[in-house]
Amino acid sequence: MKLPKLRAIGPSLWGIGVFLLVLAGLAPWIPRFPLTILVNLLIFAALAYSLNFITGLTGYVNFGHVVFMAVGAYTLGYTVGTIRLHPLGGVALGGLMALVLALGLGAVTLRFRGVYFAIASLVTPLAGLNIVLVLPALGGGQGILLNIGFDPLSWFYTIWAIIATEVGLTYWITHGRLGYGIRAIKSDEDAAKSLGVNAPRLKLFLFALSGLFAGATGGVYAWTTSGVFPEAAFDLTFSLRMLAMIVIGGMGTLLGPLIGAIAVYLPSRFFLTIFIGTESIIIGLVVIVIALFVPGGIVGTLRKYVPELRRILE
Amino acid sequence: MSRTLEASEIHKYFGGVKAVQGVSLTLETARIIGLIGPNGSGKSTLLNVIAGIEKPTKGTVTVDGRRVDGWPAHRMVELGVAKTHQIPKPFLGMTCRENVAVAMMYGSRREGEPASALEESRRILAMVGLDRRADAPASNLTVQERKRLEFARVLATGAGLVLLDEIFAGLSPDELRDAIALFARVQKEQGFGALVVEHVMRAVMILSDFVVVIEEGRKIAEGSPKEVVEDPAVIEAYLGSEATNVTP
Repeated sequence: MKLPKLRAIGPSLWGIGVFLLVLAGLAPWIPRFPLTILVNLLIFAALAYSLNFITGLTGYVNFGHVVFMAVGAYTLGYTVGTIRLHPLGGVALGGLMALVLALGLGAVTLRFRGVYFAIASLVTPLAGLNIVLVLPALGGGQGILLNIGFDPLSWFYTIWAIIATEVGLTYWITHGRLGYGIRAIKSDEDAAKSLGVNAPRLKLFLFALSGLFAGATGGVYAWTTSGVFPEAAFDLTFSLRMLAMIVIGGMGTLLGPLIGAIAVYLPSRFFLTIFIGTESIIIGLVVIVIALFVPGGIVGTLRKYVPELRRILE
Repeated sequence: MSRTLEASEIHKYFGGVKAVQGVSLTLETARIIGLIGPNGSGKSTLLNVIAGIEKPTKGTVTVDGRRVDGWPAHRMVELGVAKTHQIPKPFLGMTCRENVAVAMMYGSRREGEPASALEESRRILAMVGLDRRADAPASNLTVQERKRLEFARVLATGAGLVLLDEIFAGLSPDELRDAIALFARVQKEQGFGALVVEHVMRAVMILSDFVVVIEEGRKIAEGSPKEVVEDPAVIEAYLGSEATNVTP
């Protein structure tokens, strides 16, 4: 693997890099309550980046992304709960389990295209929930309650590392030979195949990455909530929120998932008490408006209409 | 390196529709084989089977003696067998250079670096007369330019054996003359072997070394272009049985 020269990496990557470094430096001084909000925001950003690998880059809309998050959460819950594994180990194992699931699921569902893939993906969290509900080892309907304490700084650095890896990988993938193959698949999969692109393998690779990071993030999520609860872990609105984030931020872009996560998470956090129950409606409306009128999302639209920004934003 | 592709006794059925029924043909480096036949005679299907886009129901395809039938399209491209699409399928969101660069990086050349592939794409685009459009988005191209891009991408894969599905269709007489000259020049330079499916008889007659005629999925004639057009079976297939009885 050849790494890009430092000077050659774009302003967007620099921007995110500096942002992340500043956050990492400041974190120890941030009071606990705002830090937990930041951790929650970063959890959503990490999920958005993970979904971006498959849905953003290839255009395969995955409604079932939450299933990887749930697998990661349950893996952490189970291993920390029974064999007293360190939560970090749980996070890593969670990522691994989700990766394995993604390989298995993707080998089947990625054969479908367009709306058929979307529907197949929608079914997986429903299946997952019903499997977990009948497994006593995973707490059935009760879920798993952990007692692993309140440690926002460890959560922060764990989720920070996950995001940094995702951003780096996204950049590396989109700027090399792989990026061209992926754009070709997104544009016309049959044409891509007939020029030598091994589309099934490339899609499975991205799907596996997407599962890996969603699983690890799910582990962090279970760590922060000190437990896993079936209805919450397989909650489809999580999938929808992640989709909303990448659609609003800009599908397949480097900055999009982060911007989208901020744009969706912060308002919903601050208006929590004002718009109780209507949050999803508002997010839904915003997504419809964006999908209809500015399909490139924030980043894609700025790139399209402000040529000066094209070199900066990606 | 001389290469040989042999398709033998290819059958392809779609449910009850027998699109191709036992057609054999051989394609070699530096030779142009014309494949003609009336509409719906199975030409495109045969091409798709050879290119790995469809699996044959029966029959074998070998490249340099190696069985390759049933291989997926991307592996055939790695092996050096690539096909154009009858209806061009450019990557609309990319520029012409990027379109060609994809083929260059994923085809049998395996050009690893985007920067050098993009650079090299200029040369290929110049070959097909699209150099001035190199940095234009493919979505801005006319239908004819899209056909040229389709051809450029196949060249860029580095394929030694190319399958061309109606690349001369829909051209005005002047455009056709230019396109034939361009194709002949590029083929001479590159020395690839080509299997050309074509309706435009003028192109077939000028370019082909050998012509295979199929009708309703079966081979009805083969030979030099001149032999084939004088073959009563071919005239009948194209013009109906009455035509053979007409004395000039």
